Amino acid sequence: MDSNADRYRRSQELFARAAQVIPCGIYGHASPAAALPGALPYYAERADGCRYWDVDGNEYIDYLCGYGPVILGHQHPVVEEAAARQRRNALCVNHPGPVMVELAEYLVSLVDFSAWAVFGKNGSDMTTWCVQVAREHTQRRKILKVAGAYHGIDPWCTPGHAGLLDEDRAHIHDFSWNDLESFDRLLARHRGDIAGVIMTPFHHPAFKPSEMPAPGFWPHIEAACRREGMVLILDDIRAGFRLDLRGSHACFGFEPDLICFCKAIANGHALSAALGRKELRVAASRVFLTGSYWNSPPAMAAALACLQILEQQEVVSILRRTGEMLIHGLLQAGAKHGYAMLASGPPAVPFLCFIDDPSSRRQQYFCAEVARRGAFFHPHHNWFLSAAHTPEDIIATLGMADDAFAVMRNEGL
Amino acid sequence: MTPNSARPDPAVLSRLYLGAVLPCLTDLAEQDATVVDHLGQLRASIVFSILGGPAATIRLQRGQILWENGCGRNASVILLFLGDRHLNAFFSGNKWAAPLPVWGCWRVGLLARFSNLAQRLEAVLDGAPQVLDSAAGRRLHARLSLITAGLALHALAQGDAAARYILRSLPPGLASFTIAGEPRGTVWFDHGSAGNHAGWSDPPRRPDVCIVFADIATAYGALRGEIDTLAAVGSGRIRVEGLVPLAEGLNFAMERLRVYLKH
Repeated sequence: MDSNADRYRRSQELFARAAQVIPCGIYGHASPAAALPGALPYYAERADGCRYWDVDGNEYIDYLCGYGPVILGHQHPVVEEAAARQRRNALCVNHPGPVMVELAEYLVSLVDFSAWAVFGKNGSDMTTWCVQVAREHTQRRKILKVAGAYHGIDPWCTPGHAGLLDEDRAHIHDFSWNDLESFDRLLARHRGDIAGVIMTPFHHPAFKPSEMPAPGFWPHIEAACRREGMVLILDDIRAGFRLDLRGSHACFGFEPDLICFCKAIANGHALSAALGRKELRVAASRVFLTGSYWNSPPAMAAALACLQILEQQEVVSILRRTGEMLIHGLLQAGAKHGYAMLASGPPAVPFLCFIDDPSSRRQQYFCAEVARRGAFFHPHHNWFLSAAHTPEDIIATLGMADDAFAVMRNEGL
Repeated sequence: MTPNSARPDPAVLSRLYLGAVLPCLTDLAEQDATVVDHLGQLRASIVFSILGGPAATIRLQRGQILWENGCGRNASVILLFLGDRHLNAFFSGNKWAAPLPVWGCWRVGLLARFSNLAQRLEAVLDGAPQVLDSAAGRRLHARLSLITAGLALHALAQGDAAARYILRSLPPGLASFTIAGEPRGTVWFDHGSAGNHAGWSDPPRRPDVCIVFADIATAYGALRGEIDTLAAVGSGRIRVEGLVPLAEGLNFAMERLRVYLKH
């Protein structure tokens, strides 16, 4: 088999150029430093269905789906046609297009508790704005969040440490996932000053297994929010539309006051949305919201087409079945070679890691070996299924995984 | 809490001087021929002790320098400091902050030699122009900066509020920092649930994450904050292998050292 240096030569060449003119070469979540430098591709050339090709021509079955947005498969023809048609009419004009109204109506009809919707481009746009809405609505300062949860890159929530002031987080307080005592302690300490609680539907930290909510966890949080007048914000950016089309809260038996969507909403087109209860409508109208491209119609047309397909084709069920097949197969393949693995998260947004692998080296080696065989699993970030993944794709992937496990066993890993 | 926010704690700074800066004398003596010449066949030891607090001992042994934690036996000179601020002022070059020579004050020659040694160490660690002018000086600066930064993690983890805030969110594990091709070019830090330990040279077990600088130039740039370390990781000039979050977090904790040493 070719060496990584040969396999990723073009990626490395591009990165060398990038490093001259772009901080980090590639920054943010796609930075090679967050994955496996030199052992995974850095740049992609094209994508189609559940596959993509890197700049060196290597093909991958894609289990990251652009870190989540691609839910129907890359270049879905119906979504692309809807976006292209809209783009031919208007890309960036002085006013929103009719499609904005249609999309808002569609979303409000889809998400049962919601009475209104607004739009942005990225997840951070919505989480940060929702925090402001919660503060405006309650006239309180404090926001509670789960330690290690990702809500975006704004100063109040960025996982980075640089460029921050203590003041940026003076009123942001962390509790631990599934630890109601730590939540109640914060509640007692800041009672009367807590504007809202922002949480993801399940805990999906990077570099760690995902954690589902323990029985009673969400009902306790929801009840506390109702009792104390705190706004419950569901950050459904990563899981939204993959667990339940009506919002992931529908899976876990609670109702938030605000919900943030992004990623899968438009199958890869840049769009985010926040929806809320009618009681928060006035506060929402007061908190300024805009951006240079936020009214651009093509992404909204893509979203409308995407959501309609998700609904018509019952994609949530497809993703669950495909994800279960993948997870079950990987666990079996690992066991066959003597590896105990931990499957975490819902099947549509799964993550697998090795038990007894505190340094993550097995995980990293496995992902690198599978990538060399043609499937892309991120070693440190949860994976995503799309409707374009077929049972045949899963079977092909399991074959690659079987080979990778065998190599690892031979290497004594 | 951010890396630059919390004010430096004098107690942490004094421990940094005693436990992270003074140990660099060992490597200075091994790598710098002028220091070996300067020491000659001298055999002596100097204790630096804070009243009611920590201490460190430097032993000069015929061209070698050894560092010991605490008050070593049979010291030639014992220098007592009345508190953390007193020691910090002395190490930062305040001439009015002379220690109390509770033993060996008559060994003026030894103290003068040590003073010269300390000045050389300061020049190397500060990256004085005359040091950085030469490749050998830059190499020495990079080596000693790495040793100081690695060993500093222990003192920072013990007492610095910002570093502790960062460390709390990190997984436990042993991290090693190495300059490839350099003899004794590894420092390590063990971030454990039962406590933190740092050391220089061979780690006590296989590290959970290994950070390897490809060469002196890369280490030099990274430790001085002069290169884009994430780009260096992507291009393979810095290799991070294993528990990535531990490496990232320790990098931020190490930045606290700069906050301390610039005060």
